Amino acid sequence: MKKNIQMPKLSEQMESGVLASWNKEVGDVVGKGEVLFEIETEKVVSEVESMESGVLEAVFFEAGDEIKADEIIAVINCD
Amino acid sequence: MKKKPEWLKVSYNKEAVEEVSGLMAKLKLNTVCKEANCPNLGECYKKRTATFMILGSTCTRSCRFCNVTSGMVEPVDPKEPQHLAEAVKELDLKHVVITSVTRDDLVDGGAGHFADTIRAVQVLNPGVSIEVLIPDLQGVERHLDIVIAANPDVINHNVETVRELYSEVRPEADYDRSMAVLEYVKKQAPHIKTKTGMMVGLGETDEQVYQVMDDSLKVGCDIFTIGQYLQPSPQHIEVKAYVTPEKFAEYKKIGEAKGFHYIASSPLVRSSYRAEEAMEGGKS
Repeated sequence: MKKNIQMPKLSEQMESGVLASWNKEVGDVVGKGEVLFEIETEKVVSEVESMESGVLEAVFFEAGDEIKADEIIAVINCD
Repeated sequence: MKKKPEWLKVSYNKEAVEEVSGLMAKLKLNTVCKEANCPNLGECYKKRTATFMILGSTCTRSCRFCNVTSGMVEPVDPKEPQHLAEAVKELDLKHVVITSVTRDDLVDGGAGHFADTIRAVQVLNPGVSIEVLIPDLQGVERHLDIVIAANPDVINHNVETVRELYSEVRPEADYDRSMAVLEYVKKQAPHIKTKTGMMVGLGETDEQVYQVMDDSLKVGCDIFTIGQYLQPSPQHIEVKAYVTPEKFAEYKKIGEAKGFHYIASSPLVRSSYRAEEAMEGGKS
């Protein structure tokens, strides 16, 4: 099963965040709880943990991109 | 957006955040973690801990560093003390931190509601230590007496910044009044731990920071916290400097040498961050 990964809304006011880095590459195995990517917001950089286990199949943004909250940014294949 | 130094990194786990957020929503409770957009929310919620914010989520003051909404306040929820006590039980907290928005509109500044909340927690959760982070209650002693009479373990009132920056950062407050609050609490109830905290990175000098420490010690303050100011939005006062972890370590060392029972000093320290540890350390 494939799972879409969304840009998390880290606070109620957050409209968008900057993708600081991907901590995994396409094709990498990702474990639940592992840091998948980092987002820079007004206050800090957040290391976002994956809620899924599987293989990172696709990413739709690059480091430095400003992304709206809830937008799909990657796909993990959980099979 | 200003580039963040490498030490300003936190972790975020969606499931953990949603679990605690869900409980708060169910019991109609607010947390300062959420309202202030605290950087430690992810870590604290993952550990199933939070700092409750009573008396609504809208403040009557508009400090330039704070993310809490200012404006028309909500009516006080009489069920809030009981709901909060239930949340403490459900989260199985051993130490609870309760703060509030400032309610200059209420006759007692919200002191009675603080006392009701403390008592509700004590009844439902015997043995749980209670820390209240109070506004200045305009320095009115009879209002402070109401909170003191409820006998929390720690009374915290944050001085927030150095005297010299009050007009810019905290224009509706008064440095001497905040110090007087801490002094009065200690005088009336020496067994209650007193605590204060400040932000750095707003343009203060080291000497001014040490002066706040000296002033706090002079009024008998037991616990002191220092953390980095982080700008919640471009509308808030700007960060003048990202203070290094080494400098925070120096503040801690000097603060301990000056005589605090406990001092927490690092970039992501907030006044209620790991408060249980601070209270244990603050025991004399």
